[in-house]
Amino acid sequence: MSSGKFRQIVGLVVLASLALSTYSCTVVSSNEEFFGSTTPPKQNIFRYVNGDEPQSLDPAMGNGQPEARLYMALYEGLVEYNPKTLAPEPALAERWHINNDSSEFTFHLRQNGRWSNGDPIDANDFVYSFRRALAKETASPNAYLAFYLRNAKAYNQEEVFVRDPHSGQFLLARDFVDDLPPDPISATPIDPAKPEYLPDPNEPKSDPDTAFHQQMHTPLRLTLPGDEKARAKRIDANPKLKAAVAGKEFVPVKAEDLGIETVDQYTVRLYMGQQAPFFLGLLAHQVFRLVPRQVVEQYGSAWTQPEHIVTCGPFRLKTWIPYDKLVLERDPMYWDAAAVKLDEIYFYPITDQTTTMNMYKVGELDAVYNHAVPNPWLHVMRSKRDYMDAVEAGIDYLIMNTTKPPLDNVKVRKAFNLAINKQAWAEWRRIVKPLTAFTPEGMFPGYPQPQGAEFNSAEARRLLGEAGYPVTQNADGSFSCSKFPVGQVEFIYNTQGSNKAVAEWMQAQWKQNLGITVGLRNMEWKTFLDARAKLEYKGFARGAWGADYMDPFTFLSLFYIGGENGTGWVDAKYIAMLDEANRTLDHKKRYELLAKAEAYMLDAQPVIPIATASVNWVKKPYVKGMYPNPASLYPWKYIYIERDQAKWDYSTPKLTAD
Amino acid sequence: MLRFIVRRLLVTIPTILVVISLTWVLIKLAPGNFYSGEKQLPAAIEKNIREKYGLDKPWYQQYGKTMWNIVRHFDFGSSLRYEGQSVNTIIRNSLPVSAAIGLLAYLLAVLVGVTAGSIAALKQNTAWDYGSMALAMLGISVPNFVLGPILVLIFSLTLYWLPPSRWAGFPSWNLVLPVLTLSALQMAYIARLTRAGMLEVLRSDYIRTARAKGLSERDVMLKHALRGGLMPVISYTGPALAFLLTGTVVVEKIFALPGLGNYFIQASLNRDEPLIIGIVAFIAIALLLLNLLVDIAYAYLDPRVRYQ
Amino acid sequence: MSIEKDPDQIHIAPEMAIAEADVRSEEAGEFVRGSSLWRDAWRRLLKNKLAVFGLIVVVIVTIASVLGPTVIKAVFGFTPDYIPTQIKLNRSYPPFTGPDGEFSWLHPMGTDNAGRDQLARVLQGGQISLFVGVIATLVSLLIGVTYGAIAGYVGGRFDNMMMRIVDVMYSLPYVIVVIVLLSLFRSQTPRGQLILLFVALGSTSWLTMARIVRGQVLSLKNQEFVLAARATGVSGTRIIFRHLVPNTLGPVIVYATLTIPQIMLTEAFLSFLGFGVQAPLASWGSLASDGIQSIGIFPWQLICPGVTMALTLFSLNFLGDGLRDALDPQMRTV
Repeated sequence: MSSGKFRQIVGLVVLASLALSTYSCTVVSSNEEFFGSTTPPKQNIFRYVNGDEPQSLDPAMGNGQPEARLYMALYEGLVEYNPKTLAPEPALAERWHINNDSSEFTFHLRQNGRWSNGDPIDANDFVYSFRRALAKETASPNAYLAFYLRNAKAYNQEEVFVRDPHSGQFLLARDFVDDLPPDPISATPIDPAKPEYLPDPNEPKSDPDTAFHQQMHTPLRLTLPGDEKARAKRIDANPKLKAAVAGKEFVPVKAEDLGIETVDQYTVRLYMGQQAPFFLGLLAHQVFRLVPRQVVEQYGSAWTQPEHIVTCGPFRLKTWIPYDKLVLERDPMYWDAAAVKLDEIYFYPITDQTTTMNMYKVGELDAVYNHAVPNPWLHVMRSKRDYMDAVEAGIDYLIMNTTKPPLDNVKVRKAFNLAINKQAWAEWRRIVKPLTAFTPEGMFPGYPQPQGAEFNSAEARRLLGEAGYPVTQNADGSFSCSKFPVGQVEFIYNTQGSNKAVAEWMQAQWKQNLGITVGLRNMEWKTFLDARAKLEYKGFARGAWGADYMDPFTFLSLFYIGGENGTGWVDAKYIAMLDEANRTLDHKKRYELLAKAEAYMLDAQPVIPIATASVNWVKKPYVKGMYPNPASLYPWKYIYIERDQAKWDYSTPKLTAD
Repeated sequence: MLRFIVRRLLVTIPTILVVISLTWVLIKLAPGNFYSGEKQLPAAIEKNIREKYGLDKPWYQQYGKTMWNIVRHFDFGSSLRYEGQSVNTIIRNSLPVSAAIGLLAYLLAVLVGVTAGSIAALKQNTAWDYGSMALAMLGISVPNFVLGPILVLIFSLTLYWLPPSRWAGFPSWNLVLPVLTLSALQMAYIARLTRAGMLEVLRSDYIRTARAKGLSERDVMLKHALRGGLMPVISYTGPALAFLLTGTVVVEKIFALPGLGNYFIQASLNRDEPLIIGIVAFIAIALLLLNLLVDIAYAYLDPRVRYQ
Repeated sequence: MSIEKDPDQIHIAPEMAIAEADVRSEEAGEFVRGSSLWRDAWRRLLKNKLAVFGLIVVVIVTIASVLGPTVIKAVFGFTPDYIPTQIKLNRSYPPFTGPDGEFSWLHPMGTDNAGRDQLARVLQGGQISLFVGVIATLVSLLIGVTYGAIAGYVGGRFDNMMMRIVDVMYSLPYVIVVIVLLSLFRSQTPRGQLILLFVALGSTSWLTMARIVRGQVLSLKNQEFVLAARATGVSGTRIIFRHLVPNTLGPVIVYATLTIPQIMLTEAFLSFLGFGVQAPLASWGSLASDGIQSIGIFPWQLICPGVTMALTLFSLNFLGDGLRDALDPQMRTV
C-alpha cells in the first residue's frame, strides 16, 4: 500500500478527531446569551410542550398541570388569574361585591359572554356547572376546593339533613358539633339594621332579596352521613344526638341546597359555609369554569370529543391527534376576542426532557413546561437570559408525629429542626431555596413573613440536652447521644425516585450534628399515604404542599380544622387566630394576623420546613405576556409574539406592576 | 425457476411458525410478567388479571389458542400494555414510519454507494479512490448511535437547519437526519462491494473482449462492468435489510420516531407477549420474502446463475 | 468462469468481506502451505502501513483500557465511580477545564453530570467493551468451528441439512431474537449479565465462521494426510480436531479479527438500548446512551466515548484487512 494513501487516510482520521474535540469545547465557551435560536415563528402562533397527554378535556375532571393549562385556554369562569400576580380579575363576571365577612359573594355577569357555538352565557350556566362539579356522580377530584360553599361538602358526600316531620324544622349543626368554625354573617338572619355588604359606588341599591336568600341566612343545618351504617354509628356515639334524632326523618341534601343562586339572568350569588376571604382567588380554578349544559346532557362523558365539544374560553379546539399534538385556535365568539393576540397554540405532549430542550434550542418551541430543564444543566442554564428564575408556590417539609414520644416534646422537635442545614440542602438540589417558615418566601407581596429558626447545630444540641437527651462529643469531633431512644423514631419514605437519597441526606445531617442515627424505612406509596394520614408512623416523614390559591391561608390551613397534615398537632389558639384573620376586612391587617398565626405555629414546631421550590423553565425572548408566576399558570389571551427586538425580554420578567 | 420459488415458499412457512413458537416458548420460560410493576399486586387482583388474559390455562391450551388465531385469522391479539389496541393496528400504524426511513436509507445507500464505488474502481489509486475508501472505512467504524447525535449536534442544534427529532409525516425535513444516519453504514459497505466487484470484472476476459469488439467505453462500463459491480450489491441485499432493521431500532430511539423498532423495544421491556410475537413474526415474514425476491432478482441479472 | 450458485460454496459473507466481493471465490479453499507461512504473513503485514497503524492503535487502546483506570487512580486519585463530595464539582465540565473555567489537566475528557472523570469512565468502558468483544468472538469461534468442521467432515445429507439450517438462520433477524432473549432473561448480577452477553453475542456471528470452516474442511478432507490418518485408524474426532481444524487457522484468524469489531458494535448498540451491560458496569455503548441526554449542552459526554470507540473499531478493521492480506494473498484486496 502506498504511503500516500496511508498518509491521506491517517490525516483524515486525525483531522476529524481534532475537529470534533475542539468543536465540543467551543460549543460551551461560545457564551451565547440565550439557549438556542431566537427566530420567532413566521405566523402568529405559539408552540409549547405541555408535558403528558391530557387525560380529559372536561375541566371538572382533569387533575394535573398539563390539563390545568389547557382548561385555562378553553374555558372561562367568573374570574381569571392575573398573569403576573395570579390575583382574580374580571372574566365572565364584570363586577362583584362581597359582604362584611366574606361569606356572601354577588357577581354581576357581562351580557356578551358566548359559547364557541354562539349560545349566550348567563347565570344558569354557572349554577349548572357548580352543581355538576360537586355532584357525586361526576367524581371530580377537585371538588374539595368548592367545599367552602354552603352545603357543598354535604351534597358531594350525599349526606342527609335531619328534619322534624311535623314542624318542618331542621336540626342545627351548632347544637351537636363541637369544632365548627364560627358562624359567618350569612348564617345569621338578615338584619336590615346591619349593612351586610360593603358600600359599592356602582350599586346604589342592594341586590334583591329572594326566598332562597332568606333561607341561606339561617344557621347551618346538621348533616349526617347518607350511608345507613355510618350514620347509625355516628348517632350511637352521641347520646344527645340520639335523643334528638328520634322521630325525625332524614332528608337527602340535594343540588338545590347548594349555596349558589341565580338572582336574575346575569347575577349569581354564592353563599359560604364559613368566612373565606380568599375564595375569590380560588374561583379562577378550573373546577369553577363553565361546562356547556346542553352538550353535556346530550352526550354524557363523550361530550369532550372533538366533534361535540363546545367551549367558552379565548381559544377553541382545532385539532387533537393523541400523542402527537393538540392545536387550539382563537375563538371568534369569545367576548374579549379582540384582545386575544395569538392565532393558534400548539401543545405537544412530550415528557422526555432532552427532546423538549433540543426542540426548544432549535427553535421548534417557544416555551417549555415548568421543570423541563434537567437538573444537571442548571449551572449553565441559569446564566442564560431566557431562563426563568422565580419563586414557586410549593413547600417541602418534614412532618413529625407529635403524638408519640420523644417527639411530643417541643424541645426535641426544635432540636431536630435546628440540626438540618437548609442552605446545604438548597445547594444540593439546585432549584430550591432554603425555607425556615411555612409559606414560600417572597410569594405573597406585602406579607410580613416570620423568619423561623436558622440552622444552628450548637443550639440544637443544647435543646436536646435540656430535653433530657444530652449530646456528647467524641474524640474525633463527631457526636453521640446515647440516651436518645433511637428505636422510637424512624424516617419513612416511599420507594420512588430520589426519595431514598433524600432520606439518607437527612439521616446524615442528624448523625453529623446530633450524633443520632435515625433509622430509615421505605414503604409503598399507598401504605405511606395511609401511615401519614392515620398517624401510624413514629418519627419523621416527608411532606409537601402546593398552593391552591394565592393566599397564605392555603398553607396555614393545613393546621386548621379538618386539615390533613399528618402531625397530630391541633391548637385551639392557632385556629382562633386564623379565624380572626379571616374575619378581618382590611387586607394589610389580615396579613399581619396571618403572620402572627404562622409564627405561633412555627414556634410549636410540628413540622421542619426544608425548602421552597423555584420555577425552572425557559421561554424565548420574543414571547411576551407570559410570566413566571408561582403557580405556572398562564392566561393565554395575554401572550403575544413580539417582533421588535428592542422590546424583547432580556431577563426574567418582573412580577410586580411597573 | 418456478419450482425454486415454490420450494422456497414451502420452506418459509414452517420457518416462520418455528420462529413464532420459539419466541412464544422463550416468553413463557422467562421470569416476570407484563403486569408486575414496582409493587406486589394483591393475590385477588393478580388472579383476575391472569384470568382475563387467559394466563391461567394450561400451557398447551395457551399455545394452541395463540397459534390457531395466528394461522387462521392472522390475528395476533391485543397488546397487553397499550389497552385496547390490537397488535395488527399497532403494526399497521408504525410500519409506514419504519418502512419510509428504511427504504429511503437503502435507496440513498445504493445510489451513493454504487456511484462512489464505481468511480473509485474506474479511477483506481487516485485521490478519489483513497478518499472515498477512507470515508467508507469511517462509515463502517463509527456506530450509528454516535453518528446520529453528532449529525444532530451539527446540523440541528448548532446550525438550526434541521429538526432534531420527532416524526412529522412524509415527506418532511424530519426525515433527513434519520435517513442519513441509517444509510451511512450501508453506504460504506455498498461502496466497497461495488468497487471490488467492478475491479474484479474490469480485469476479466469478457471486458477485454468487449473492448476489442469495439464497443464504446461507455457501453463497456454501463452494460458490462456495472452489472458485475452490482452483483455483490444485490446479493448483499439480504443481510443489508437485516442490518437496516437493527439500525432502525437505534435510529428510532435517537430521533423519537414512532416506528416498529421503537414498539418492539417497548414490548420487550414490558413483556408484552402478543406484541412481541406479532412484531417478530412480521419481521421474519418480511425478511424471508424479501430475501426470496432478492434471489429472484439475482437470477434474473446473472445469467450464469441457475437454480435447481 | 462458469459457476452455479451453490450456496454451499465458500461464501465469505459480504458484510464481512469489507473490501471485496468474495461471493464466489472458490480459490479461498486453497491455502498456502509451508512452515514459513506465519513468518511470511508477518512480514507482509508489517509492510502494510495501514494495518500497522491499526495494530498500534489497538495495542495502545487495549493497554490504556486495562491499565488506565489504575494509573489514573494512582496519579489523580479518582476511580471511574468517584463522585466528588464538593457540590460545586458535581457537574459536567468540558475537557481540560476546571470548575471556574480555567485550564486544567485534571480531566482530559471532562466530567459527566455527577462529576465523575470521563477519561477513567471511557477507559473502563473500553475494558468491558474489549473484553466482551474478545470473549464473545471466542464463543462464536468455538461454536462456528465445531459446527462447520463436523458438517464438512461428515458430509453428505447431514452436511446438507446443517447448512440449510445455517442458510435459514442467515436470513433471520437474529439480533431481534437476541434482544428478546436479553430482555427476558435479565440477570440480577452484573457478572451474570456479562455471561449472558457472551453467549448471546457469540451466537450472532458463528454462522459465517461455520461456513468458512466447512468449506475449508471440505477441500481438505480428501488430501493425502487425511486419507493417511484414516487409513491408520485415527478416529473421526481426532481427525477433525487434530488435523483439519489447525489447518483452517488462516481464514479463522482473519475472520475472528474482523468479528471482534462487529461484536463490539453489536454489544455497544445493545447497551445503548438498555439490554446489554447494566449499571454499575459501563461499556462504550451505555456511555454513549448517557451522553446523548445532554448532547445539546455538554456534547463531550457523547463525543469522547464515541470517538474513542470509532477509533478503536477503525483500527481493528484496518488490522483485520491487513491480516487478511497478509495471511492469504489469494483473498487480497485489489
